[in-house]
Amino acid sequence: MIPQKIICVDIGSTYTKGAVFNPTEDRFNVSARAVVPTTVNYLPDGFYKVLEALIPGSGSKQAYDKAEFPVFFSSSAKGGLKIAVIGLVPEMSLNIARLAAFSAGARVCAAFPYRLGKANIAQIESLAPDILLFCGGTDGGNERYALENSKMIAASKFAGTIIYAGNNFVADEVAETLSNKDIVVTENVMPDFGKLNIEPVRDAIRKVFLEKIISGKGLDELVKKFETLPVPTPLAVFNLAKAIGENVKDWDNFAIIDMGGATTDFYSYTNAFHYDGETVMKGILEPILKRTVEGDLGMRVSAESTYETGTDYFGSIGFDESKLNELKNYTLKVSESPEYLPENEKEKMFDRSLAGACIYHSLLRHAGTIEEVFTIKGRIWAQIGKDLRKINKIIGTGGYLAAMGRNNEKIIIPSEPSTPCEKIPLLPQKFTYHADNTYILPLLANLAEKYPKQCAVTAIESLINEQQN
Amino acid sequence: MSTPYNIVLGVIGSDCHSVGNKILEAYFTENGFNVTNLGVMVSQEEFIAAAIETGAKAILVSSLYGHGEIDCAGLREKCIEKGLEDIILYVGGNLVVGKVPFEQVVEKFQKMGFDRVFSNEGSLDEEAELLRKDIQERLK
Ligand code: B12
Repeated sequence: MIPQKIICVDIGSTYTKGAVFNPTEDRFNVSARAVVPTTVNYLPDGFYKVLEALIPGSGSKQAYDKAEFPVFFSSSAKGGLKIAVIGLVPEMSLNIARLAAFSAGARVCAAFPYRLGKANIAQIESLAPDILLFCGGTDGGNERYALENSKMIAASKFAGTIIYAGNNFVADEVAETLSNKDIVVTENVMPDFGKLNIEPVRDAIRKVFLEKIISGKGLDELVKKFETLPVPTPLAVFNLAKAIGENVKDWDNFAIIDMGGATTDFYSYTNAFHYDGETVMKGILEPILKRTVEGDLGMRVSAESTYETGTDYFGSIGFDESKLNELKNYTLKVSESPEYLPENEKEKMFDRSLAGACIYHSLLRHAGTIEEVFTIKGRIWAQIGKDLRKINKIIGTGGYLAAMGRNNEKIIIPSEPSTPCEKIPLLPQKFTYHADNTYILPLLANLAEKYPKQCAVTAIESLINEQQN
Repeated sequence: MSTPYNIVLGVIGSDCHSVGNKILEAYFTENGFNVTNLGVMVSQEEFIAAAIETGAKAILVSSLYGHGEIDCAGLREKCIEKGLEDIILYVGGNLVVGKVPFEQVVEKFQKMGFDRVFSNEGSLDEEAELLRKDIQERLK
């Protein structure tokens, strides 16, 4: 039975947001919303403030009766879930490891192929990721790298959790070598060459998140109090994307872009490869639902690197030398002050252009490519990575895109690369843009796992559709 | 018996001849090898990636359409570069266009770093045993 009211809270790195949903048979209606600054030192403070604003009188731990309204919550506080991945061949096990980490809602802070050197270990120590995802080798395959790398890790100062998901023939030996560390062993992400096995790693990451990572900053207290299991915010959105793809008519080829000040998250829901008789798939076949995160593309903290990356894009939307310079100065200014809001039309236009660059480049990196191969029998295509050409709807969410949507500001998303390239990126060709103007998706997303159907329907209904391309 | 050796198999370059490849997969599997078959149109990089991840002891390259020489050049060097200096490389099929004496073909491909070279006329009966011996020899 669906309860009368459901409360969802998302603890972000800057804001803690909440909403009350009134469920009906087939959808969730929003009846109240609240936002407060995240209380970084002790997260429950902000959490209870939101509760109090949503349902007056509920804000103190004592007054709140969990039996009355269930609470769901997600967290990306403390920069979210940070994972470093280790694999073997960059295009193979390392790539699959990254996909697995992303689809568990993590941010990949570093990725190391082959043998770990001293410099790599130093980098792992200084980045101090929550989890080290250690992969490489098929089952019964390469043993050397896992054995050598495990010794390097054992001798390091890394103090987080290690998830081993490589060649299972040496799992015992690796676990033994790393017995001085916190280690979890799970199934291989690539049991056979080119074959993906992502679910066990996702589960393992989820467990580590619940058991270890949330224990800081008072999240464990919220877990006990509300008898609820939090998810990393991006995992909630991942679950929502899955729910939409599986439950809503005509939504089987779409993308979600979640853009923030520091990062841009890209989710695609579409088959990775479409057999047409003249294209062959090379490398791994990526999953129908894929998430990637770009740590250098964002509206504020990452504005400068977005500017650097986006030069071609800015050129393609008509920036000349002097305008580029102005934009550069703008990015220098806003990267210093993450809360900055544009003050005039020009700055709004700059923000719009930055948003376009974030979207375009995250799209390019998420997408696969095809390349012409000439055989004596004629031309064929070799595809690497995921084909996004069938995507016909793009959802934009996150504070910036929501605000731009409300102001009716249009962002230009090209469906072709701005400079010609040998390998053709498989970008969406013809799509409509759907803005999450009320910025409700991350909150609603908390319900996606438990109530996929109602959640998906509500999400789609809340979007503002705007014709584009 | 000890654990079977892993080997990687595929047809190199833009070659689409798939029949022999299927036969080779079945043959080596039946004869106790763990075969990772990459199928047709396989690049040197794919052979190497597969050999690393699977910890393969040998790479078996086929080329049927006559461009074997160009497609195979540099494979041994790339293997060495990627730390596969001990891997056994076999090649077979219709390796060159036109009538070239087979000894010359063998010489050419051995110079390129292949351990053994096979024509398309062999009947596949000793190859598995040969490969096993070569691997054991290399492991010593
Ligand atoms: C069927 C066939 C095709 C079919 C392939 C269908 C498919 N999906 O496989 C099609 C029509 C597509 C085709 C196309 C072409 N073909 Co064709 N094709 C043949 C044909 C008639 C049979 C091949 C075959 O299946 N043989 C049976 C299998 C079992 O034998 P096999 O492939 O030789 O493999 C065995 C051995 O070679 C050996 N072996 C192979 N590799 C290795 C590796 C190791 C390590 C070991 C131990 C053994 C080994 O063991 C295998 C199993 O027993 C041959 C002629 C012939 N009789 O060989 C021409 C032939 C191979 N084709 C040829 C040519 C030129 C072409 C084309 C370029 C023609 C064109 N201009 O269109 C294209 C190339 C397309 C491409 N990009 O690859 C030439 C190659 C000339 C050369 N090398 O000197 C041949 C020899 C015909 C000829 N005499 O001209 N072809």
